Amino acid sequence: MRILKSWLTDYVKSIGSMSNSSIADLFRRAGIEVESVESGIDDNVVVAEILSVDKHPNADRLSLADVKDNSTTYKIVCGAPNIKKGQKVPLAKIGAILPGEFQIKKSTIRGVESEGMLCAADELGLGEDHSGIIVLPKDYEVGQPLNKYIKKETVFDISITPNRGDWLSHIGVARELAAFTGQQIRREPIVIQKMGNDIQSLLSLEVLNESACPQYFARIIQNVKVGSSPEWLVKRLEACGVRSVNNVVDITNYILLDTGHPLHAFDYAKIEGKKIIVRFANTDEEIVTLDGLNRTLIEKDLVIADSKHPIALAGIMGSKDSEVDGSTVDIVLEAAVFNPKGIRSSAKTHKLQSDASYRFERGIDDSDTEYVLNQAAKMITEVAGGSIASGILRFGQSPAKKSVKIDYDQINSILGSNLSRENIRHYLKSLYLELKDDLAIIPLWRHDLSILEDLAEEVGRMNGYDKITPIYFTKATPPAYSQYYTEELIKDVLVKFGFSETVSYPYLSDNDILLLQLKKENLLELSNPLQEEYKYLRVSLIPGLIKAVAKNPAFDPVLLFEISHVYMKSRETVNLGIVAAGKKAKEAIEKSLSSLQSILGYEFEVTIKEFPREELHRFKVKKPVVYTFECDISALIEKARLDDNKLKLSLSKHKITYRPISKYPMMTRDLAFIVDKKLDSDLITEEIYTVSDMVNRVELFDEFVSDKFGVNKKNVAYHIFLQDTSKTLTDQEADHVVRKIVKLIENKYQAELRKA
Amino acid sequence: MEQKGSLHPITQLLREAISSFQELGFDVYQGPEIENEWYNFDALNMATDHPARDMQDTFWLKNGKLLRTHTSNGQVRYAETRKPPIRAVFPGQVYRNEATDFKHETSIYQLEGLCIDKGIQVGHLFGTLEHFFKKMYGDDTEIRFQPSYFPFVEPGFEVEAKYKGKWIELLGAGMVHPKVIQNMKIDPKIYSGFAFGMGIDRLVMLKYGIEDIRNLRSGDLRFLKQF
Repeated sequence: MRILKSWLTDYVKSIGSMSNSSIADLFRRAGIEVESVESGIDDNVVVAEILSVDKHPNADRLSLADVKDNSTTYKIVCGAPNIKKGQKVPLAKIGAILPGEFQIKKSTIRGVESEGMLCAADELGLGEDHSGIIVLPKDYEVGQPLNKYIKKETVFDISITPNRGDWLSHIGVARELAAFTGQQIRREPIVIQKMGNDIQSLLSLEVLNESACPQYFARIIQNVKVGSSPEWLVKRLEACGVRSVNNVVDITNYILLDTGHPLHAFDYAKIEGKKIIVRFANTDEEIVTLDGLNRTLIEKDLVIADSKHPIALAGIMGSKDSEVDGSTVDIVLEAAVFNPKGIRSSAKTHKLQSDASYRFERGIDDSDTEYVLNQAAKMITEVAGGSIASGILRFGQSPAKKSVKIDYDQINSILGSNLSRENIRHYLKSLYLELKDDLAIIPLWRHDLSILEDLAEEVGRMNGYDKITPIYFTKATPPAYSQYYTEELIKDVLVKFGFSETVSYPYLSDNDILLLQLKKENLLELSNPLQEEYKYLRVSLIPGLIKAVAKNPAFDPVLLFEISHVYMKSRETVNLGIVAAGKKAKEAIEKSLSSLQSILGYEFEVTIKEFPREELHRFKVKKPVVYTFECDISALIEKARLDDNKLKLSLSKHKITYRPISKYPMMTRDLAFIVDKKLDSDLITEEIYTVSDMVNRVELFDEFVSDKFGVNKKNVAYHIFLQDTSKTLTDQEADHVVRKIVKLIENKYQAELRKA
Repeated sequence: MEQKGSLHPITQLLREAISSFQELGFDVYQGPEIENEWYNFDALNMATDHPARDMQDTFWLKNGKLLRTHTSNGQVRYAETRKPPIRAVFPGQVYRNEATDFKHETSIYQLEGLCIDKGIQVGHLFGTLEHFFKKMYGDDTEIRFQPSYFPFVEPGFEVEAKYKGKWIELLGAGMVHPKVIQNMKIDPKIYSGFAFGMGIDRLVMLKYGIEDIRNLRSGDLRFLKQF
């Protein structure tokens, strides 16, 4: 939600003079997440006068302007078509920070230095226009900061956690920030003059279900002039991201943003029978909501109805046929409290979420219904005229407040703090909890406070978590042996034999099922898959591993394994899956499994399968043969004989520089060099990477000392994998990189390239 | 000559994280991925009608079960068959029904932790996490604790670390909610505890500067062999 600094200042004056970063700190201490801050126009954006405009020597579309503030003349490069000598324009000086955290720096544009930037509306966050520089009125004083004349709101975009619905309003946030600055906010009482007809003669109210609608209050305002809203109202709503509709609807939205209490206005003339009934819908009753969509209601939906039909989906959205528009003369203003669960359920049923339903779901202030009704009625007469009928139609009242017993010792015990009674009481009172002896009475906008631990959190927040001293556990040995360690050991063995560990998705596509000839009845099915084609769960790791083989045509061999869950209808198991394809693949898989048998101390069954060649083709695997192995890993682990004390996790120590991989296919080239036998082959590997970003991977595949290469010489051979992240590499580009590599290595290491 | 293979970067980071907790006597427990509503939501104080459920989009199975949205299901299963003191970490893959892009996936790895004993305070949580951060990121790592909310803890925290000059949110944590302790068949009037959870994929991406989370499950050796 967008929270305006100026709106907060209405409630807490001192916020107006606080810096944005101090305010952000307050949010942080309170636990309100700030997603972004939009500030007013930076002080370093000033009113400047254009002294002269010349063409840029090196660019047709650019100009050079001499621009002055009240003391200095700046040379500015500008691309706008509309600048002229004598104009007053916004100049962002060096150091100014514009929206998007864009800082103005001294820059050189097509060979000419620019000492700042002239601004278009969109660059200052003042609108969408980018067609030209803003030309300012002549009476703006040169040298003054632009924010003296153009007020742009400072906005904190916050996100709330579901337990604090009260932060979905400016008053709620103001209360919280005030507490953290040792202040409290106060609300001015609303005085409604007695005027107009008695509401009882105009409208009747019946609420048929108290638990679904614990409070329903209404007022009537007669003879309003529905029209456009005053500028201050439009501006505030727009700064909060709400579109202006008309003066009446705008006030209801204003109250929502201000107090968090959603209101609704109906056109009185459109209410049949002059009766408002709050009831559950009848099955198949229909309503066309304000968004123009026709909705069929169910019995669980609460509606606001007149004597004939529903005029609102309660707490969510009003009907189109009862809306306030240009023809409306008299309005009915509703302020109510609806059961959060019911609203949530109906919003889900109709897939309809509104600013109103969002707040009702999370709980609103149950104590201010009459207050906001009066506040809205008063504001409506101020912007739209009319007279408020005397009296309020009422159903229900504020509920009794809950209370929680304060256990001072327990609070200190949870926080590990040593706060005095007085201190704890002070913190709770700052957050508007009324204290009666040792009972904390919970304000009706705090639906999240019900147990002692909740109070402990309030005290902890106010006190500050930086005050808590960390307590360290002493070193200890884990209580029991865990399957995890054996899994990791198995991984280490496979890695030694050249296998790479992968992770894949648990879903099976319809195509997979076809290819593997599986029966859908034997598979678990998702009822809300992200994609229709992937709604079954795998019963084996092998298909996913085969697909991974297909993904790696440039590698030979391809050795992969995975330890992950598979899901049969009867039970879920953790499986080990291994695939091997290419050079010496069968040997690799056989050797690694044999090694596993000896390390685990148990000759588990090893059945290595050959994935059917006809199916390899359908999975797009080009290699002629893929060997596979799969088993339930608990079968390995249960019977393993391992020395518990020797189980330690082996952690990698080498530093890895990650290189992004390209969407486009790679090319491979092999290079072999004859070098001094004492030369470290890793040095050459590292050197090759530096030649170009296109070198994605360098693998040493042969290192052979022999006199046939020369005295004290050896052969080192590398696979080099090349890629371009923006397109498919051409042979010429690859050759070019290879030539650079050869030249570098030959020169640096006195190497001799071996001819193929 | 033989080429050495490679461990998945998620495995490697998990090992580092788990060994830091192993030093403090934490056990390692892996629960099931297919779970029922009780162990995944209700036991953790997330009732059906509560907006807190919106914090995690769920994959539901036609048989009424679900793909777990966090490894907290394992916490409940582990704790309910044991008596305190309890210290364990819970690694595993979890599932969120969200649209995927370079930063979001439907399956991600998590590591959660739980400690329940007599007299456990917020200070123990802070100390344990500090120990973890220092092991992972170095002794000078700065961390801070912000108030936040998760249905299964009270008080709740977001834990941030200063990483390459910026404060980044890395963990959620808190004191286990008494209702949850109760659901673990342990008496909350005698015992208290803390819990924490982190997304491993994200930590892996931060560590290496990986540009697209989907690389982690791509099966592409150009990616896997770098680690």
